[in-house]
Formats: sequence, structure tokens, C-alpha cells
Amino acid sequence: MILTGSEIRQEVKNGRIFVEPFNETCLNPNSYNYHLGKRIKIAPLEVIDPKQKMAWNEIEIPEEGLILQPNYLYLGHTLEKIGSSYFVTSLIGRSSIGRLGLYLQLSADLGQLGAIHRWTLEMTVIQPLRIYKGMIVGQVSFWKPIGKIISYNGEYGNVSTPGESKIF
Amino acid sequence: MILTGSEILKEWQAGRIDIRPFNHDQVNPNSYDFRLGPIIKTYINYILDPSLPNPTVETIIPESGLILQPGRIYLGHTLEIMGSDHYVPIIRGKSSTARLGLFIHVTSDLIDIGSHNQWTLQLNPVQPIKLYPNMRIGQVTFWKVIGEITLYKGKYQGSMGPYGSLIHLDFEEKKLKV
Repeated sequence: MILTGSEIRQEVKNGRIFVEPFNETCLNPNSYNYHLGKRIKIAPLEVIDPKQKMAWNEIEIPEEGLILQPNYLYLGHTLEKIGSSYFVTSLIGRSSIGRLGLYLQLSADLGQLGAIHRWTLEMTVIQPLRIYKGMIVGQVSFWKPIGKIISYNGEYGNVSTPGESKIF
Repeated sequence: MILTGSEILKEWQAGRIDIRPFNHDQVNPNSYDFRLGPIIKTYINYILDPSLPNPTVETIIPESGLILQPGRIYLGHTLEIMGSDHYVPIIRGKSSTARLGLFIHVTSDLIDIGSHNQWTLQLNPVQPIKLYPNMRIGQVTFWKVIGEITLYKGKYQGSMGPYGSLIHLDFEEKKLKV
């Protein structure tokens, strides 16, 4: 079952959902709006080999914004630290930014219980799009699981800048 | 928890799920198939900026079909008006259209509870694809909630046909506050 906005607020108060910083105006009927953090990693335009470490170019989004180009892969991050050991998180883009053709994750919307961090966003655009740091770009929802909880202990658990793939 | 097809039908009959028009043969084991409406919008500008209005141009999909090209955003819409004040809808493509390389939304599958509209689809093909009006293009699932329900009152409420992004309103609000 998915938590309503008022239930998300209640569970943040109870300390069973972690959102930092938390702002009540970011609550939706059944999700919470997150903001885009300031660091972006840009993938080199070459064949990606999961066995090799990639030469990412990391920059800070300037005040006037940054134009993302089609065919490039970018890694961004949420401004907020988000997670829960009690509810499963699912992270998506918001429709206002989807309508402008920005993917915020690439078929990996499911978070793990106990992973509390700034979430890495896998970003790519259909048409060139200017993005600004601190803008609201997406939403996170919280889901009640069934069964005994074993918290996430993986390699991305406490990453707080755009975390590149560690698949190699 | 997700509703089964028979529960979707029952809750539609009870008026707790809104789908107009509703066809029994579009009910699946755990979702409802929706169809593509006739209007497509594209942005006039190639480079888009969320801090400014991004004007669109409208096309009607002819019966003979309309070819979508990779590299452009096409805003389509569901033929059906859908929503629920009791369940959270989540939309998806159909595997039949996905197998042809068509994204029907751009990472925004979650609908707010209380949002009743023809939903805007963000159509993005991997290869050129021809789309026809009224074709079955996606499916909606309905999910049970925990907690007190506050209904959606946002800027897209009641929208008919595809709606371009209104994200620039966020930036205008911010300017007013400064």
C-alpha cells in the first residue's frame, strides 16, 4: 500500500521516514517533491564498458542553469537525503518535467529499505533542456512492505553526491 | 496493494474509480487498458527552458496515422477521462507498444489521488513509429492507500487534451516571494 501525503508527514514526525531538509509545502496527495542538487556528472560520449571505470566529468550547475543535450547520460542527485527502514521508496520524475522530456531515472525507480542518502538521478533528455539547481524535479513515494525487514547494506547506501555505477 | 481487474470493475460500478468511457473488454487481470486520444502537441522551440513558457503547436492524428520521430517530445493524451478519490493510479505502457520502442511517459507514472483528467502522455519513440487515434496505448493500475486522503487540487486538474508543462509557474511564484 502507498502512503498518502498526510501519512508521509506523520511518519516523518515519527522518525520512520527520513527526509532532510523536510518542507511541508513539498507534500503531494501521495508523494513528496524533491529538488535537484547542484552537482552533475557527465558521461564521456564513448562506448560504455561496465568492466571499466568511466572518466566522468563532474561540474556544478551554474546560477544561470545548464543545458542538457540529447544522447548524453548525466548523473545528478537529490538535494534532500531521503530514505526509510520501514517503507520502500520509489523515486520518479514529476509530470511537469517529464512533459519537457527529462528522464530522472532509467528504469530503476525502486529504492531499498534502509538506504538513506541523496539519491543519484540518471538523467537524459529528448530535446535540449536547461536545468537549474534547486528546482523541483521529481517525487518520491513510500510503500508498506510485507515481511521481515533486512536493511540495505550495499555499496551506494551512504553516497551523497552523484554516485557513478560500481558495477565494475 | 494493487486492485485486480474484477475489483477495478466493481469500484468503477461503485463510482470510486472514474473511467469515461468505460469498456469491459479493456479490463485486464490487474489493470485497465487506455486508448490514445486524437490530439498531439509538440514544442515550437527546440531548446526548452523550464523557467519560461514553452509554446506548443497542435496536430490531429489522422485515421491513416502519424509518424513520431526520435529526438522530439510528443505530448499525447488518453481518450478516457480517468481518476479516483480512493485509489492511487499508476500508468504504464502496454508491453505491445513497448516492444516497438515507445515510451508513453517520461519517468512520471504516478498520478495524484483526486486528479481527474484526460491524462497527458509524454510520447518518445526509440525508432520512428506510426500511431493511430483510439489505439490501445497504455494501462492504468490502481493502488490502495494508507493514511488520510487529501485530494489533488493542482494546476492540471480537469485538463482535456494534452497539456504542455506549466513548470514556469514555479519560477514565477518564487520571483514573487523574493
